[in-house]
Amino acid sequence: MPTRTPSTDPDTATQLQTGGDLLSLLRDTTTEPRPDTQLEALTLAVAADLPVLLWGEPGIGKTAALTQLATALDLPLTTVIASVHEPSDFSGLPIVGDDPAEQGVPMAPPDWAVRLVRAGRGLLFLDELSTAPPAVQAALLRLVLERRIGALRLPPGVRIVAAANPRSSAADGWELSPPLANRFVHLQWAHDTEVVVRGLGGTWPRATLPRLDPQKLPEAVALARRAVCGLLTARPGLVHRLPSGETRRGGPWPSPRSWEMTLHLIAFATAAGSSRDVLSLLVRGTVGDGPGLELLASMDRMDLPDPETLLADPDGAVLPERGDLRQAALDGVVAAVRSRPEKSRWDAAWALLVRAVESGPPDVVVVPATTLAALRRDDWDVPAAIESLAGVVSLSRRADDAAARTKPAATAKAGR
Amino acid sequence: MTGQASGTPPPTTTDPPPSTSTPGAAEAPGTPATPPTDTPPTPYTPATAEAPETPGTLDRAKLFAARLHAARVRPYLATALFALHVVESRRVPTMGVDRYWRCYVSPAFVDRTPVEELAGVWVHEVSHLLRDHHRRGDRVARERGLSGPAERLRMNIAADLEINDDVYGEGLARPEGAVDPEGLGLPEGQLMEDYLWQFRLGPRMRDLAWLDCGSGADGLDREWELGPDGAHGLSEQERDAVRFRVAQGITGRPGNASQRWRRWADEAFHPPQPWRELLGAAVRSAASGPGAGEDYTYGRPARRSASVPGAVLPSIRRRPPRVSVIIDTSGSVSDAELGSALLEVTAISRAVGGRRDLVTVVPCDASARFVHTLCRAEGIPLTGGGGTDLRTGFTRALRTRPAPDVIVALTDGQTPWPSTRPPCRTVIGLFPRRYRGHAYDETDPEYVPDSPPAWARVVDIGSAGP
Repeated sequence: MPTRTPSTDPDTATQLQTGGDLLSLLRDTTTEPRPDTQLEALTLAVAADLPVLLWGEPGIGKTAALTQLATALDLPLTTVIASVHEPSDFSGLPIVGDDPAEQGVPMAPPDWAVRLVRAGRGLLFLDELSTAPPAVQAALLRLVLERRIGALRLPPGVRIVAAANPRSSAADGWELSPPLANRFVHLQWAHDTEVVVRGLGGTWPRATLPRLDPQKLPEAVALARRAVCGLLTARPGLVHRLPSGETRRGGPWPSPRSWEMTLHLIAFATAAGSSRDVLSLLVRGTVGDGPGLELLASMDRMDLPDPETLLADPDGAVLPERGDLRQAALDGVVAAVRSRPEKSRWDAAWALLVRAVESGPPDVVVVPATTLAALRRDDWDVPAAIESLAGVVSLSRRADDAAARTKPAATAKAGR
Repeated sequence: MTGQASGTPPPTTTDPPPSTSTPGAAEAPGTPATPPTDTPPTPYTPATAEAPETPGTLDRAKLFAARLHAARVRPYLATALFALHVVESRRVPTMGVDRYWRCYVSPAFVDRTPVEELAGVWVHEVSHLLRDHHRRGDRVARERGLSGPAERLRMNIAADLEINDDVYGEGLARPEGAVDPEGLGLPEGQLMEDYLWQFRLGPRMRDLAWLDCGSGADGLDREWELGPDGAHGLSEQERDAVRFRVAQGITGRPGNASQRWRRWADEAFHPPQPWRELLGAAVRSAASGPGAGEDYTYGRPARRSASVPGAVLPSIRRRPPRVSVIIDTSGSVSDAELGSALLEVTAISRAVGGRRDLVTVVPCDASARFVHTLCRAEGIPLTGGGGTDLRTGFTRALRTRPAPDVIVALTDGQTPWPSTRPPCRTVIGLFPRRYRGHAYDETDPEYVPDSPPAWARVVDIGSAGP
């Protein structure tokens, strides 16, 4: 027996060695660049120093995303699993000293907080918020909002990201009250089946994270201010609207605070040159779906060419490709002529309509052409260019004929 | 789909001919660009839609006149109609859309279809996109494990049924051979997901025309489609923006939109959540708030105290919540509804640590006489009928000792409410009033019931659910 013992040792070592080889083979994966909208949105929000709340089912790679983010921002990552802590771990442990009446009872912070403050910078990830008891959640929210742990104050270099399970799958009553929901950028975290399958096959995506372009900063701020102020001037009702109804509870909603966050996010997304999809995630996660989409729609309108520029140079004008935007641009041109009717502007508008007909579907031109024709003064001659619009007229007539033919059919249907 | 078709890809025209072309000129046969063999014999091709034998150029004037007509009779859809980008294709049987808002059009189909019917097809196709059928199709396929072209064809038919039962009429001609629920003997007004289970593919389905509405209708990519990298596709944000603007137009001027479109607009960006989850969340949050359920207390030292001398630690104590369920047993709520809602509340209270003996049930119509505990009675007699006054139920529930931590009221809302806030959390489960528009009180036809008070959390029960 004693002679067997030394011989098993190298044997076990070989087994472990082989196991290690197998593990390293399994870990041997490559990465490929792939645009990742979610991660880009998260990076921008963290860069803008706004508290982010990731909503997502457990096990879909929130922690992995945070690790990637910490690497990209070059910040040490501190993960705190909320559900295994007590409220005093976040609000501070009361330590009874020699003379509480004289010296008070100090609230001692936990060790990770002390290390974080000493480092001066870092990414604090509060995981599993939704499975912590309510008292722990209450203590955590003080940490998020006031950045205080006991007597310590988190330095500005620390960025906070929290994660929670959706309300439907949370085991207990976790829910954000409206004032708290209003301070977070809510990001819905979902996994992409294609990415997961490809990753398990050995190729994980490598997101190219947004970089802020120092050249674009003033322009980005101007654009963000113009977008938010433009919308809120036109729709003052959107400035502050408390969520009503059970379905929208705990989600983002518009208030002056969240609009200011939106303004920051637009500026950051613009400076980083991010796509509208990224911006859409951020804006809708800050002020809610409805106001967010309205903002994006009004930003689409801001992208339309200026009617006066178009009128000034009809020959060099570039009209939007998309039919609905093109019609909106032409409507804008006609409205500009109506507001200051002059013969030259009227002619320029006709030239624009002709250009539109030559470069795109003719039906979008019908309504602007009809409106423009109605603006004619008696002493204005019909421009020669209008000949090119004959097709539009016949198109319109055909639609009229179809309308006339469907009239009896419609009444027959109604009688059925 | 069947095998890859060989030959040149279908010519895609991005620039239309100058619109000086009159209908007669445009109908003249153009160059035979693709041989007829290029049209794959698909099982989708319905009998009425023969493969285009005569290659001609797309009659864009006719197609756009139809779109103009559609936009005139359905002004609230104009944005979406104009946002579609037309792609001429000889391989699509009729007209189809992809998920990037491109519209594939068969020239032969345009030639043989009258303008007013083409307008109907325009609206039909854009409805697929507005109603998000491709994403819903993908979701259904994932949830129920459906795969293969046959299942996608069923999804396409089900999506068509959802659209076709109310989209035509009022200036829009019904395209020949359009499938509708009536024709299949199915009820009207349901969703694609519901229709999907109510019919099977059979010989009867062969007659259904334009069954191939493209990947925009059912989520299955077709080989003639340009895909995500092709030109003129809309990004996800742009698609959402267009749908949002249409929805906003409908809710802003609801006058000329149909009931179904109004409902779509209401729900497009705020899909109704399943009531079970909402009720569950409301009850859970009420039952686990401070004072009830599990919480920290400084009343007794924590077990960790021994290892941290000098520090004062709270300990965790559990006090299971007492839940009192007031049930409206007046005539207008069905037993089945009550049963399912009661089961739900019981399950939830057990999940938060409640015991069966802590859940009490108070049946209530105009008066509340009894309080039942769930542990004693397997079946609680839900007696009642007639008028409702839930105030007596609240009084009764609050008078029980020990007092409840949470009151859940299940009612149709046809009742006066307590004037003051009860001293415990309140959740109201509201059944939909199906007799809306009828007078509830014969002696007072003008009677309008109070809406639930602001201090309660209100969940609409049975409003929707997957």
